[in-house]
Amino acid sequence: MKIFELTRADDPRQAIAAAAKANTAQQGADIRFIAGGTNLVDYMKLNVETPRQLVDVNHLPFDKIEALPDGGLSIGAVVRNSDLAYHPIVRKNYAVLSEALLSGASPQLRNMATTAGNLLQRTRCMYFRDTAMPCNKREPGSGCAAITGVNRGLAILGTSEHCIASNPSDMNVALAALEATIHISGPKGERSVTIGDFHLLPGNTPNRETVLEPGDLITHVTLPPPSPGNRSLYLKLRDRASFEFALASAAVVITADGGKITRARVALGGVGTKPWRSMEAEGELTGQSATQAVFQKAAEAALRDAKPQSQNGFKVELAKRCLVHALKLVTQTA
Amino acid sequence: MAGLLTTAGPAITTLAQRSEKAEQELSAATKDAIPVTLHVNGQKHNLRIDPRTTLLDCLREHLHLTGSKKGCDHGQCGACTVHVNGRRMNSCLCLAAMYQGDEITTIEGVGQPGNLHPIQEAFVAHDAYQCGYCTCGQIMSAVALLSEPVGPEDAEVKEFMSGNICRCGAYQNIVEAIQSVRQSTNRQKAG
Amino acid sequence: MPTITETATTSPIGRQTPRIDGPFKVSGTAMYASDFNFTGLLFAVPVEATIANGKLQKLDASEAEKMPGVRAIFHRANIGKIFRSVLQPPNSGIADERRPPLADDVIRYYGQYVAIAVADTFEAAKAAADAVRATYTKDKPNVNLDLQPESEPEAVETTHGRLKRLQSERGDPDKAFASAQVKVDQTYVTPAETHNPIELQGTIAMWDGQMLTIYEESQAVFNLRSVLAQMFGLPKENVRVITKFVGSGFGSKLWPWTHCALACAAARQLGKPVKLVLSRRMMFQSVGHRPRTQQRVRLGATNEGKLVSLMQDYLNDLDILGGYHENCGESTSYFYSVPNLRVHWGRTRRNIASPTPMRGPGAVPGLFATESAMNELADQLKIDPVRLRELNEPKIDEGKGIPFSSRHYLECLQRGGERFGWANRNAEVGSMKRDGSILGWGMSGAAWIAGRFPAQASVELRDDGSARVACGTQDIGTGTYTILAQLVSDKTGVPLNKIEVVLGDTSLPPGPISGGSLVTGSIVPAVFDAADNAITSLLTVATTEPGSPFGNRTPDDLAFEAGRVFAKADGLAKGVSVSDLLRRTNMRLVTGSGKSEGTLDEKKPKVSMHSYCCHFVEVTWQPATARLHVNRVVTVIDGGRIINPLAGRNQIEGAVVMGVGMALLEHTIYDPQNGAPINSNLADYLMAVNADAPLMEVHFLDYPDTDVNPLGARGIGEIGLAGVAAAITAATYHATGVRVRELPIRIEDLLTSSILA
Repeated sequence: MKIFELTRADDPRQAIAAAAKANTAQQGADIRFIAGGTNLVDYMKLNVETPRQLVDVNHLPFDKIEALPDGGLSIGAVVRNSDLAYHPIVRKNYAVLSEALLSGASPQLRNMATTAGNLLQRTRCMYFRDTAMPCNKREPGSGCAAITGVNRGLAILGTSEHCIASNPSDMNVALAALEATIHISGPKGERSVTIGDFHLLPGNTPNRETVLEPGDLITHVTLPPPSPGNRSLYLKLRDRASFEFALASAAVVITADGGKITRARVALGGVGTKPWRSMEAEGELTGQSATQAVFQKAAEAALRDAKPQSQNGFKVELAKRCLVHALKLVTQTA
Repeated sequence: MAGLLTTAGPAITTLAQRSEKAEQELSAATKDAIPVTLHVNGQKHNLRIDPRTTLLDCLREHLHLTGSKKGCDHGQCGACTVHVNGRRMNSCLCLAAMYQGDEITTIEGVGQPGNLHPIQEAFVAHDAYQCGYCTCGQIMSAVALLSEPVGPEDAEVKEFMSGNICRCGAYQNIVEAIQSVRQSTNRQKAG
Repeated sequence: MPTITETATTSPIGRQTPRIDGPFKVSGTAMYASDFNFTGLLFAVPVEATIANGKLQKLDASEAEKMPGVRAIFHRANIGKIFRSVLQPPNSGIADERRPPLADDVIRYYGQYVAIAVADTFEAAKAAADAVRATYTKDKPNVNLDLQPESEPEAVETTHGRLKRLQSERGDPDKAFASAQVKVDQTYVTPAETHNPIELQGTIAMWDGQMLTIYEESQAVFNLRSVLAQMFGLPKENVRVITKFVGSGFGSKLWPWTHCALACAAARQLGKPVKLVLSRRMMFQSVGHRPRTQQRVRLGATNEGKLVSLMQDYLNDLDILGGYHENCGESTSYFYSVPNLRVHWGRTRRNIASPTPMRGPGAVPGLFATESAMNELADQLKIDPVRLRELNEPKIDEGKGIPFSSRHYLECLQRGGERFGWANRNAEVGSMKRDGSILGWGMSGAAWIAGRFPAQASVELRDDGSARVACGTQDIGTGTYTILAQLVSDKTGVPLNKIEVVLGDTSLPPGPISGGSLVTGSIVPAVFDAADNAITSLLTVATTEPGSPFGNRTPDDLAFEAGRVFAKADGLAKGVSVSDLLRRTNMRLVTGSGKSEGTLDEKKPKVSMHSYCCHFVEVTWQPATARLHVNRVVTVIDGGRIINPLAGRNQIEGAVVMGVGMALLEHTIYDPQNGAPINSNLADYLMAVNADAPLMEVHFLDYPDTDVNPLGARGIGEIGLAGVAAAITAATYHATGVRVRELPIRIEDLLTSSILA
């Protein structure tokens, strides 16, 4: 690990001012916010991240979960994953989020990891993690060793010829299905970005993963009010029974009326370069009966543009089964 | 306590542990060292450490609390599990300097031979270990689990103990040990 | 002769005994090698090569040397002399990687050490190691997965001496196979696996003049001592190795690895104690692994299921320089009765680090192949796989032509089948269902060697009523501390809580390596001999020393029982306790030394000694989510007399869990581009977690094998893993119709299943 200066922010303005001096807010940032540290410290140990300054944001007043007047929910940036997962409002109104969080990592890591940190979770691509290997995300222009190497766990949706790294977060998949909004405070003031716009596709610049600029500080995430009568569910498939990233996962939020789906929100995990909202699947579901055939059509639509690599072709079928089964389970309970 | 087994042969004890003074001189050798105050097992420690020092390395190499183990150094095995303000965490991913003012509990603060915590007693009785290396992390998780919202079934315990890898595979006994303590606690509550 | 009676009523042998080291393990007070700390301790971090084949061209340490807290960067030019060790199997000088670290600039595997940074703190040493700039001439590494045998002579040198590649042969297996009524001819593959004990390997080395002391988590302290003495040109008396607790090893800590010599050399150069602890990534690179194996198995049988021919041709890959042989044929020649048999092997060199024994070396991958073939044969014949095994049970070891010492494999099968409910099996694929899942049932058998290494021990009886037993073996999680105490308690009547057990130190009487599941079997006679000699010494004291109430007796008049010395004529009630006798004679203690010989090097053994087991496995298959789960395993072990059934059951369960990982998860992946073990961390190399563990039921037959030792105890550390994977693939086939012959079973294999609901 390279040496760094550890500083602590006691109010958001300090934090923003400190980080505004950074060269970038993306890969290679020389100034980084740190909260739970589960991802950043991991990558600093591997020299994938080498900040010269860390700004500890754990003491900023962003640790609350609050019901909003419109029936929605506000989630502070440094709320720990376990606190969020067990919050009574989350369990009642946003089960998919609670389930996604509890399917991720381990209890220890969930006690450390934060909302904002999880939004910014980096890929698990083994070549990104290994500084001896080429990686366009870590070192733009160096090449992608995953396309020609071991890519079983990597993305099949949203990839480019430069990067096929998958987004490993479970929380983000649930947030995508819940249409969350991310609130950012920065040197130029405050702004809000939808979860769909927050993460970027790799394209030609896989080193740019989000819309964040130097000094941008995520303050909280808001969820819209739950759609009345909805049921939601997160289903995660992997090799190991627990404590593993998804090979494929599905977050579904479904409202049905008399066996007919009136509203559907679908997002996939483990298969996309970003949390993968599938409006195509939602389109196939909305207005249709909750039947296996409809679910299958939705799954086909969601994976229509999949581009498998040498080792991860199975993810197309696996993701389809995952989505179909998630839809089956969520409509059974409806 | 069963057994007189010694953990160190006679020659070991003649080699003195690093003294407090030597410790400080050593830390000062690194020019980047910063002052850090940690509260561990109810005791306050004033240290000068490299800001890169993880809580795990700080406990082990500076405070000589070696019950917390390094197994992966990346939050993937659970051997380093400690409690921070009563919650279990992977100390290998904590920068020690960020935990000033927090109450840190390690296995040494949970119970010692002759005065073991019920979970520790249960681990001995149920043979919930083999080599013992992951055991302190397992116990820190198990003690935390007692006050977490975990359902009564074995399957729940297995899921919530899955952040602690036991390569010896003593999982069935670990679950038995934890369940025996939870059941006797419940009986006491009921009685 | 004095009479020494074992006190059956109080003996702890065979009793469920909580480990005597338990309170230390649960409280963080058990000291593992890297837990020790010494004045002036420095920290070392090696620099790993980032190519797998080529040459180190330039090493630039200038930046690293200037970093704060850095004491030195050592490389080939300044590390000082490190000699090549002398291979002296079977009992000393063994190392799988014998090239001394930094000996030349040729890089033969990824992660080979090219330098070592030493600093005041771990953080500074790590940063300095990362700042060393190495430039390489890079050749394409060969980590090809398809194994083709090298052209080697029929007899080749291995780590353990010269071996014939034609391992076993009888009858005319080709002819018998050609004319067999039913045939199986399949190739089975097991991947490279990494041991991954949770304790990272490491060394604390310190010099005092010409004396070298090291703390290392070793499974074989005496072998490590002999290797280090050779590498540093010292008389072995000048080297002391201490290993109080070992965070398991599964074989990876049996033989020394290069980091150990590096730490010793750095400590020598700096005149300070040095601690070097590997990273988890290094644990995948340079401390051994189970090699990839590729095994063609041919079975020929009659329509009734009687084997007529068995051929196994197997290959393992290995490093460029080493001599490792994965003995996949260990149990093939004797496990089944078959008149025509041939076992033959070869090896293939790759740009990988040396393999090393991993739990059940040879037999575990070997039995995966042969037991899988037996299961396929049973399916072809449409007979029960248990019945197929019963039909081919041998009367003697047909490989060696000698009787078995104690074989109860058929009883294993019978007991296992009963406990599991095997009679309810419907053999049709996909036919058994429960709660919306498809059930798959499968079984397999296994065998593992038994015998003894040479061993010595000493026993002290002391005036406070306590005893001490010392043996330079190791407890790697196997319960050896407790077993030593049980043995001494059995002989002396001293209760377990008054027995001090000392092991893991080369200053003690030489003990066996913790390998081959042979520690328990080996130490029994040595410890019994030592205890008997201590008691004999005690009786001599009783009859000769002033102050003793038995001054007018001879040793033959006396007896020892339940911790008391008494005159046979007067009876036990009038005896005196050990502590009383020693106090009256003003003595602190009496000592006895004991030893026993090994059995493994016997040129012409009279009996064939092995342990046996069988596993019955249930998997559940959920096609909707491509989820396969090992649900339930019943294991029956014929492992001789079990000294501590509490730890014994645990050890078998742990082996089954490892078998679940072997079947479904574990696989070290070498990157085809640069040869790195690319999944070198515990998130990408998957091992079973608690949620993966099935419900396990373990039964011991408990037949003493007195050819092994007077108690009839054999070791059980490895037998429980053998066969698990073959039982799981059989159960998987039964549930899904997918026959997996290359481990691990992956979701992509299962997605081809046509069993959908």
